[in-house]
Amino acid sequence: MIDSPADPQDRPLDVSLNWDDLSSLPTEEVKELFVSLSKALRAQQLYDANNPVYQRFFSQFGEALSSLWKQVDRLQIQVEEDRFTWMGEEVYRQGARSDSLAFLLFKDGIREFTIHQGLEEHELAAFLQVLNRARDLRPEGDDLLTVLWETDLQYFTYTYVDLLAEGVDLPSVGEGFKGGFEKILEQELGDRPGEEEGEEAGGEEGGPAPGQVSAEDFNPTLYSLDPSERARIEVEIREELDRDLRTGVLSALFDRVEEPRFPERQTEILGLFGTLLPNFLSRGALSSAGAILEEVSRLLAAEGALQPEQRAKAEEILDEVSGTDALQELVQAIQDGTISPQPAELASFLRFLRSRALEPLLRASEETGDRRIKTIIQEAVRVIAQRYREAVIDCIRSSDPIVAAGACALAGAIQLAEAGPAVADLLGHDSPKVRMAAVEAAVALKASTAVGALQEALSDSDREVRIAAARGLGTLRFAPSAPYFREIIQSRAIRQADVSEQIAMFESFGLLRDVEGVPILDELLNGRGFLGRKESGDIRACAALGLGKMGTPEAVEALEKAKDETDPVVKTAVNRALRGGEG
Amino acid sequence: MADQPEPPRVKNTAHLQDQGRKILAAFYAALRALKLYPLENSAVQQALAELHTLVEGLVQEEGAAELRVVGDFFFLNETRLRLDLSNYSTFGSFARSLTDHGLGAVEVLPGIDLAEWAPFLSLLVRAPDESDPYPAFMENMAGAPVLHIQVLPETEVLEPEMEEEEALHAAKRTYAQSVQVAKDALTDVRVGRAVNVRKVKRAVQGIVDQVLSNEPSMLTMTTLRDYDEYTFTHCVNVCIFSVIIGQRLGMPRILLYELGLGGLFHDLGKSRIDHGIVNKPGALSDTEWFELQQHPTEGLLALFGLHGLHDVPYRQMLIAYEHHMKVDLTGYPKNRRDRKPTLFSRIVSVADAFDAGTSIRSYQYTPHPPDAVLKEMRDNPKRGFDPVLVKALITATGVYPVGTLVILDTLEMAVVSAVNEDPDKLHLPMVKVISDPLGVPLPRPKSVDLSAEDPSTGELVHKIIKTTDPERYGVKVSDYLI
Repeated sequence: MIDSPADPQDRPLDVSLNWDDLSSLPTEEVKELFVSLSKALRAQQLYDANNPVYQRFFSQFGEALSSLWKQVDRLQIQVEEDRFTWMGEEVYRQGARSDSLAFLLFKDGIREFTIHQGLEEHELAAFLQVLNRARDLRPEGDDLLTVLWETDLQYFTYTYVDLLAEGVDLPSVGEGFKGGFEKILEQELGDRPGEEEGEEAGGEEGGPAPGQVSAEDFNPTLYSLDPSERARIEVEIREELDRDLRTGVLSALFDRVEEPRFPERQTEILGLFGTLLPNFLSRGALSSAGAILEEVSRLLAAEGALQPEQRAKAEEILDEVSGTDALQELVQAIQDGTISPQPAELASFLRFLRSRALEPLLRASEETGDRRIKTIIQEAVRVIAQRYREAVIDCIRSSDPIVAAGACALAGAIQLAEAGPAVADLLGHDSPKVRMAAVEAAVALKASTAVGALQEALSDSDREVRIAAARGLGTLRFAPSAPYFREIIQSRAIRQADVSEQIAMFESFGLLRDVEGVPILDELLNGRGFLGRKESGDIRACAALGLGKMGTPEAVEALEKAKDETDPVVKTAVNRALRGGEG
Repeated sequence: MADQPEPPRVKNTAHLQDQGRKILAAFYAALRALKLYPLENSAVQQALAELHTLVEGLVQEEGAAELRVVGDFFFLNETRLRLDLSNYSTFGSFARSLTDHGLGAVEVLPGIDLAEWAPFLSLLVRAPDESDPYPAFMENMAGAPVLHIQVLPETEVLEPEMEEEEALHAAKRTYAQSVQVAKDALTDVRVGRAVNVRKVKRAVQGIVDQVLSNEPSMLTMTTLRDYDEYTFTHCVNVCIFSVIIGQRLGMPRILLYELGLGGLFHDLGKSRIDHGIVNKPGALSDTEWFELQQHPTEGLLALFGLHGLHDVPYRQMLIAYEHHMKVDLTGYPKNRRDRKPTLFSRIVSVADAFDAGTSIRSYQYTPHPPDAVLKEMRDNPKRGFDPVLVKALITATGVYPVGTLVILDTLEMAVVSAVNEDPDKLHLPMVKVISDPLGVPLPRPKSVDLSAEDPSTGELVHKIIKTTDPERYGVKVSDYLI
């Protein structure tokens, strides 16, 4: 055993070791420790923290440290360019700089480090993270020392040479003053009140002379923080940690961008808005993004706030953020969970978008599977559509069937009567979904151009469209369509249709209360054809339902004739129709 | 690379800080338990065992464990422990338990046994002898079974001296490096070049470390007033004063860094203002003044161009933007929306005003005496400073900040060299006397503690009668301090 040196930094630490015999040092264990560290670092790079492989290497490194503490109290390592040494012995070497832990530390100035007991228990993950982060640092940003400083590890200490400080001259000082100011001192002392009737004594306002000490200077209450002041500061520090700094900065920018006397600054701030928007969106800060859009919109609306160049820049911001690319990114980010905005936040952002946004938003609202998001987008779309009604019509004419269908629905929802012709045009669209949307929009719009076109849809190739058109015309009691219905209910095609379509056609026809329709329905219900055969039970039942919807005395009379019907389907329909067509 | 001569090495003390705080807390807990319960109580036994484990661990690691109380500060084996708002009262209570008995340091030696703690701490818990506490304590301790704990009287305990030179040197290095970094950064912004953020971060981290471990030396550095370099030294000084205020308020280390970074960059906007206006000697015209008032906004905008930080430096942007706003918002720039300047901005505002008021700069040939600046900032609400933050600055600088040239009642002239650590004696600093009563320079400045009393009368031996302008005498105060 040897005596411990006076300087604790230089003192070998484990008194149980025989320091005279250096072969007893646990050098091999230290070497193993660094092998283990390298593996743990690699595992942390490759795997998530909950991955068993990472956890195994992580634990192995921790165990290697714990095991070492049975022999030494701490591990003080010298760092060289390509190796670590401990007690003069090499314990780590890696030639390839890109993989070398030694070079990683050395290049940023670390020349010695010490691992203390407790690292394995308290800071192991943080320690590994720092080293791995250091590998990925960009030259223009942090280095290992700045990262270590921020991480503030308690169980890993180090000494370093500050390579960035090289070449900086230390401040030098002179030899002090040479004197020769006895007269100035005399004059100054003459300023002392009471000793001489100096002209400066008391000053012009009768206060103390400049520099004169005052009794109040010695009152500690004037410069000590009392408990309530300390408490206030504690609260303020906590508040600072929670403060929404981004909003504070934005608010400053908003104040300054409203100053038309600084057009160049306005341009710069508008440029910043353009840069900040995608950053905010990528982080889900939609309130902030919305605030920018609101401010830009306000600037554009305010007279004289912007000169033409700045106005163009502001317009550009709103146009860009309302574009397909930007909104597709946003919707994608929401859908894949990259950002999770609150509905109110999303709405606050979307409501400032321009007409260009309609198309991508309509597509998004149709495609998203998230009902909550769908509702929010639809609401935003509605707000934008109210502002840009022409844009809705443009969307109805979109070549994208999803957009066209969505725009039709939107036109109906906001009662965009002027969209009637465009909606009517879509009734001839190739896509049944679009034709369906057009039918629903036409019904909602109640505009004559659109409703008139519905009559054509009664003979659409798609069953759903035909049914919807029939239901719509019936609901609207659009009498001009009666001839179309008369033709349909007497056609061969209706007899081959399924019951749902048959019912839709007959009931809708009934709702028109077409006087000429009663004999036709009466004939279908009660009449006999060639060889005294009656119509099929389904057609007769539908005719009864149609008469029930008519509800006129003539219709009731026709129904009464079939009161004693034995066909149960017809009988049920007749009874239902006589009760008023409910059910 | 390895063969080249290297700059001096820098050591971090994070581990000892952590150990020290735990040991002080354990001391406090054990003393409290002994006051409340009998020795056999399990709470007492547990507290003693925890204290023993911690101290014994440190003794094994460091060879010994010495805790010193010097004024407001605690040192553990030469390292000054950082206090904050979460632990200052605990530490203060422990300090009182020592100083009430006239003790200034406790040293624990290798071989300490658990059984020694109870008798030693019981002596501390006892009421001190009011007339002469230290001898009475030592007499009691002599009879107690305590072999591996030694104490020193308060009067013999000084800050670790070996550190003074080293500390001043480290402070000089940090200061010089920071001024260079400020110069580079402001120049880079002026010419539109990318700022080396790594250097900036390192400089601010260095200032935070120095303030935490070595505040007096960093305060001293702020007395280096170089007119030609004012723009840059001012940035660094504001950074230092800001961090000092933040530390006095108990801000954690990472917030001190944020604050320091804001301090360093608070005037970045001046790099975007016409050089001729910023450096114009004499009064500014209304137009020029209006132009200069744009620098907070320009600073905010300039900081958007700073890349390489983890995040957009929003906090520093607000500091640059708000530091002339005043607490009542009557300063500039004017606000159109609701705004309450951040605590950070208000701190930097105080630091900025203090350094600017005490410096020679282009439109201020005669700096104001530091004490007068402090007084004006504290007492004149129209200046718009947060009075609590001004107070926090005064607790660090004292009533007569380091570098103040004073005339003593002996008619000697002296330069304030250090703050009195006793919060009740902030008006009684350490000074270096530089001339005799006739104004003749002393060959070697003489250090004098203005809190020293004449034992026969109880009166102070020396008093300040006046503060004065060093320029008037051609005195460069830093010559006596650095």
